[in-house]
Amino acid sequence: MNEFNIILFLCNWGPHVAFQTLQDRREKIPYEIKMVRIPCTGRISKALLLKAFERGADGVALVGCRPGACRYGSGTLTAQENTDDARQILNIMGVGEQRLRQATFLPDDAEGLFEFLKTFSQEIRTLGKSPVEVSEKSVTKAIDLQQVARAVSKYDIFSCQDCGKCSSACPLSLTGKSFTPRAVASAMIAGDIDSPIVIEGIWSCLTCGRCYERCPRAVNFPEFVREVREIYQDAGIKALEPHGGFFQSMMRVQGSASLNMDRWSWLPESVHLNMKSKILFFGGCAPYFDIFFRKFLGPQTQNILLDSLRLLNFFDVQPSVLSNERCCGHDLLWTGDERGFRKLAVLNAEAIHASGAEQVITACPECYRTLAVDYPRHGIETKFKVIHLYDFLNREIEKGAVGFKPIDAHLTFQDPCRLLQEEELKALPRKLIGHLKPRSFREISESETGPICCGGCAWNGCDAYVKAMQVNRLKQARAGGRDTLVTACPKCQIHLKCAMEDPFLGQALSMDVKDLTSLIAQSIYWA
Amino acid sequence: MQDLEEIKIIVTGFGGQGIIMAGRIIGKAASLVDGNESTMVQSYGPESRGGACNAQIIISANPIHYPYVDQADILICMSQGGYEKYIEQLKAQGTLIADEDLVNPADGDFDAYHVPATRMAEALGQKMMANIIMIGFLTAVIPAVSVNAARETIRHSVPRGTEELNLKAFAKGYDHGLAVLKGREKKAAGQTGAIA
Repeated sequence: MNEFNIILFLCNWGPHVAFQTLQDRREKIPYEIKMVRIPCTGRISKALLLKAFERGADGVALVGCRPGACRYGSGTLTAQENTDDARQILNIMGVGEQRLRQATFLPDDAEGLFEFLKTFSQEIRTLGKSPVEVSEKSVTKAIDLQQVARAVSKYDIFSCQDCGKCSSACPLSLTGKSFTPRAVASAMIAGDIDSPIVIEGIWSCLTCGRCYERCPRAVNFPEFVREVREIYQDAGIKALEPHGGFFQSMMRVQGSASLNMDRWSWLPESVHLNMKSKILFFGGCAPYFDIFFRKFLGPQTQNILLDSLRLLNFFDVQPSVLSNERCCGHDLLWTGDERGFRKLAVLNAEAIHASGAEQVITACPECYRTLAVDYPRHGIETKFKVIHLYDFLNREIEKGAVGFKPIDAHLTFQDPCRLLQEEELKALPRKLIGHLKPRSFREISESETGPICCGGCAWNGCDAYVKAMQVNRLKQARAGGRDTLVTACPKCQIHLKCAMEDPFLGQALSMDVKDLTSLIAQSIYWA
Repeated sequence: MQDLEEIKIIVTGFGGQGIIMAGRIIGKAASLVDGNESTMVQSYGPESRGGACNAQIIISANPIHYPYVDQADILICMSQGGYEKYIEQLKAQGTLIADEDLVNPADGDFDAYHVPATRMAEALGQKMMANIIMIGFLTAVIPAVSVNAARETIRHSVPRGTEELNLKAFAKGYDHGLAVLKGREKKAAGQTGAIA
């Protein structure tokens, strides 16, 4: 009755010797422990730790060398940081930090290791099975050609006139990448669906929608790409998941129905919530991002949630929140995991209905688009109205009686791709910026007819071309002495901050990055 | 009209701003819909061709014996000329509601509200509707007429075809009034910003 699964990531150098000693002595190592021999605990990324849970581990132990004894110097320290971050995220998701342990042993400390393994497996037995449901993989061997043909006709790819307007607008094509929507469309029509160049094209599309905006035949290329990705996923042709696939794993874990999540206990007491409110605030994934990127960028995307709630309170709205709020599913949907998306969507819709909320307010462009457009489009019933926070703020601010403190900065603005696709929301960020009192505001590029994506929608792919695009973007943004880039999406903030760390360009790209919601919260007052 | 037995209002501004119209709407709303008594007198003569014209309204729960207003509880001003001419007729601790961009009031023993009515009307695309925005604001801050009465009366008083836009203007003024009251309340409680 081997019903428990514990993964032991065991460093090759120090503790492996201790483990071998145990084996030589024929000690009874708990049988649920599966040992994976690794070169260094520092190489087990947060993504790998989480992947183990996604694939059904009830416990994970990361066992390495003592800090001073690491063969590579900093491995143990890195492992410590990775474990801390992953434990924090496991806690928020309701999997529980107790299921992930890090320990260090000297080669001659076989007794210590044995004791640790016995205790840990006992602890996991006490905790019980992991609440994560493992999704069975149904991989077909070949690409389903019929499905491809259906997608081609559904999005009327045949109507492509080969005019190339999409290619001249595509931000990726403009960086010199050998990818154009037109070429992919032609290849698809010709039935060339499994050549490496088409596969790469489908996975590298940013789905920003600039081509769709320009297309004289209104071919909805982003939606087409999304559907082809689903077909690819079914055929086992994987997404280019950046960050080791950490975020995709995280979202799949959240698709489990029995998680007892803890999304909001970090809120300060000064924020007033009312769990019976008809208005629900849907936060989005920002808190996970801050934990994940803590070491690199120090993004402050969790503050967007806090500032949103403060602004709602400012206008006398005390919303409710879902403690079991899951990821909206946007990223799984856009990386072709429709099943994963559906699980999340059903769980979220159920939770929102159970809360009795009639209105859902969110500050995240992706959550907005997904809840408002993609849930109904994919047949998930939503008995609530979805409103973007900017819409709410704009209405309240236009009622008057509020003022804005001066902001000592020259601002420019990065549009979030997911708001641009909603006609009535397009203008809102600029209306709001119009109320603010910065020293100056100018568009990133005056000549631009439509804004350019940050390059990192849906945690899908990132390469040298995307980076080149981001670097160009920042150069444009900095021109004319502008010092602060205003963003409206956590991902824009993270990706453009990352591009600023370019070691060759150094300070030439550095700017302050502020989220619009936070900027409003910091400067608004009752006049 | 919860606590007030009688409210006396003077509306003043340039001829052509719809001052008399505003007065009529307030009076009609109070009497025909809310069921109170009301009277209105208006200035004729050269003022209505561009000078400071005015409408004087009395709203009362009891019969009104004399329709002229000597000391008003509320003075609604939509021009500087009107303000200068009638500010003396605002009683001590009365309420002044002035167009923020057209009137520059001095300090005095009154409670002043500054409403950007003309600017808001311009944003709606109809400068003429500043008067309706003022009625909206008045309805929000002073319990002279009920919201429903004001809306009904506006619907029946404005030119046909402009009802919806006028009601939108009313809502703008009304929402602004509520926002100003909320702002005053928050400031009194010491919570001015969003971040404590």
